[in-house]
Amino acid sequence: MLQHGPLLERLLAGDFICQVSDEDGFRRLSIEQTQQEINHYLRPLNRRLVANDDNSVFFLGYHELTKEAREQLSSQFALTVQSLLPLLEWLQLVQETMGRDSALTAGDTIKLQEFILRTEDNQSLRQRLNQLAGDRFFNSQSEQLDNQIKLIFRRLKEHGYLLQPHHDRQYYIVTGKIDYLIDVIRFIRDEEHLPVDDTPTQEALI
Amino acid sequence: MAPTDSGSSTSTASNLFTIGAERLALLGKHHKALMQGYLDGFIDETAFSEGALKKLIAARILWRPDEQQALALRPLVSELIASMVADENRRQINADVAEKLEQIRNRVQAYRDAQYKGDYSVAELQLQRLTEHVHDLSGQFEEAIDSLWHRLNSDFGFVASLDDKIRENERAQKQLRRLLDGLVLLDFSELIELAEGNNHLRKLLVSQLQNQLSSHHSSLLEVQKRLVELLAKFRQQQARSMLITNMAAFLRQHPKYQPADYPNRSELPQLFNQAAAIKPQAAIALDKASERQILAELVRALPRHKAVQLSDTPAASFGQQWQDEAIAARQQALKTDVENFYLRVIDHGGKLSALEYLAQQQLEWDSEIWLYQIIAEYQALPQEEKQMFAIIRDEAPASSMNQLLLIRDISLGLKAA
Repeated sequence: MLQHGPLLERLLAGDFICQVSDEDGFRRLSIEQTQQEINHYLRPLNRRLVANDDNSVFFLGYHELTKEAREQLSSQFALTVQSLLPLLEWLQLVQETMGRDSALTAGDTIKLQEFILRTEDNQSLRQRLNQLAGDRFFNSQSEQLDNQIKLIFRRLKEHGYLLQPHHDRQYYIVTGKIDYLIDVIRFIRDEEHLPVDDTPTQEALI
Repeated sequence: MAPTDSGSSTSTASNLFTIGAERLALLGKHHKALMQGYLDGFIDETAFSEGALKKLIAARILWRPDEQQALALRPLVSELIASMVADENRRQINADVAEKLEQIRNRVQAYRDAQYKGDYSVAELQLQRLTEHVHDLSGQFEEAIDSLWHRLNSDFGFVASLDDKIRENERAQKQLRRLLDGLVLLDFSELIELAEGNNHLRKLLVSQLQNQLSSHHSSLLEVQKRLVELLAKFRQQQARSMLITNMAAFLRQHPKYQPADYPNRSELPQLFNQAAAIKPQAAIALDKASERQILAELVRALPRHKAVQLSDTPAASFGQQWQDEAIAARQQALKTDVENFYLRVIDHGGKLSALEYLAQQQLEWDSEIWLYQIIAEYQALPQEEKQMFAIIRDEAPASSMNQLLLIRDISLGLKAA
């Protein structure tokens, strides 16, 4: 258990562990034996390891769903639901601004300066960004594009969606938590039969 | 017979050599304009002289596909350039094996016939041609495989959109299937039969070709596997983009949308089991004697706060400043009230007693301060304005023994101009 100390600490603090956020930790968590050891260790804390659908990201959940646990999960869920639209809009905005042909996935890099430059020149992107920054998930009070973007990225870093490898360099790597977000959306879509397609129609393919 | 034959073939060969070299030189001579033509899809005829155009057409480098159309590079030349610069948009894959196989069969027959006749120089020539055909066949696969790998490794980066990448990937998979089908046509028992009893042929057709083709075959299978994986990745990306776009649109249209209460379901979906954070905290413990040394050092290493020297002067001046501010505010208030008194006199016209005004307005000023301020205000007025006011002091001696006059009240009025 001793060698897992820092990893356990991160997990307990609520971090999501993926290939990007902690390569070594992720590798260890992918081994079944380690999973069992960690679960055993976490048992008295009423915690256990949870993974998303394709095991690309790990985090801690409750072992036993006590009343308190349910309450905590409810408020966590409310936060997650509230964050869906701003996060989706951010994903779209980055994809369009950077001229990418596909959505962001874990491991993609975003250079802040490039993002600012591309947004500055485009009135409609600027406006959308302005609106997004004002969303209560980001909650920017600034009118300055530069500050708005910096705040958005900082919030996303705090929430674990982005990793900033060097504190003084303004580039960010998308973490596996984005995969988790997509899984959540897909789950809700499937469960509630929302009219939200993710397969191209036959005409689009031809 | 033989000498003349070989003589005519040398002269044909030297003729071929001259023409070929001339025409290759043409490619070099006009390299920039031709390359531009490759990129544009047509030739800018003004870039060439009349003579040069004629030569290029005669050399089968350029052609006019249609009366109305501009000159263009012949497909074979375009193909050559595409292969040289690995331009995957234009590179062609030739999966035709049957034709090559037919040629090989014919050459083997011709070689055997010549040997049978004892015509060794012809046999030698046929063997040479046969070797070329075998190499061509292998090279055809090699070129195709190179092109496929190139596209694969660049993630189909030569097209811009994800949809195009998916289409290109599917096209590559079709080419690959044709190549694999072509490999199936190569029947090694037939090749072994063709090589029967001849070491040269056996080496060329069986050991060499078989080796090469089996390595091509495994390469192709590897490429196929990777192409299928990449296609799956593209489709996944496409699905993700669409999911994001459509879900965002849905949420925008339904701002009040609230999903079911998953956290309180009896079967909690795994995804929503996200526990609260626990932050491990620790404090210094003194219960282990062995650690005291370390702790002592830690304490010693703490940066020491320098006692801040608070001299009396800054403290006093701070208080002074604060007092000044309070006094200044009161002073200002007094001044304002006095000014209002003056304004009232101007409005009123007649005489006004200062103390009466003070009582009437229920101002909180001490009467003595009030009177001083009114006099001070009067003294501060410019000379002409002073003359507008009549200031009358209501004075009385301090006592019967003391002739000092004390001001009891002041009346202010406007002097008749």
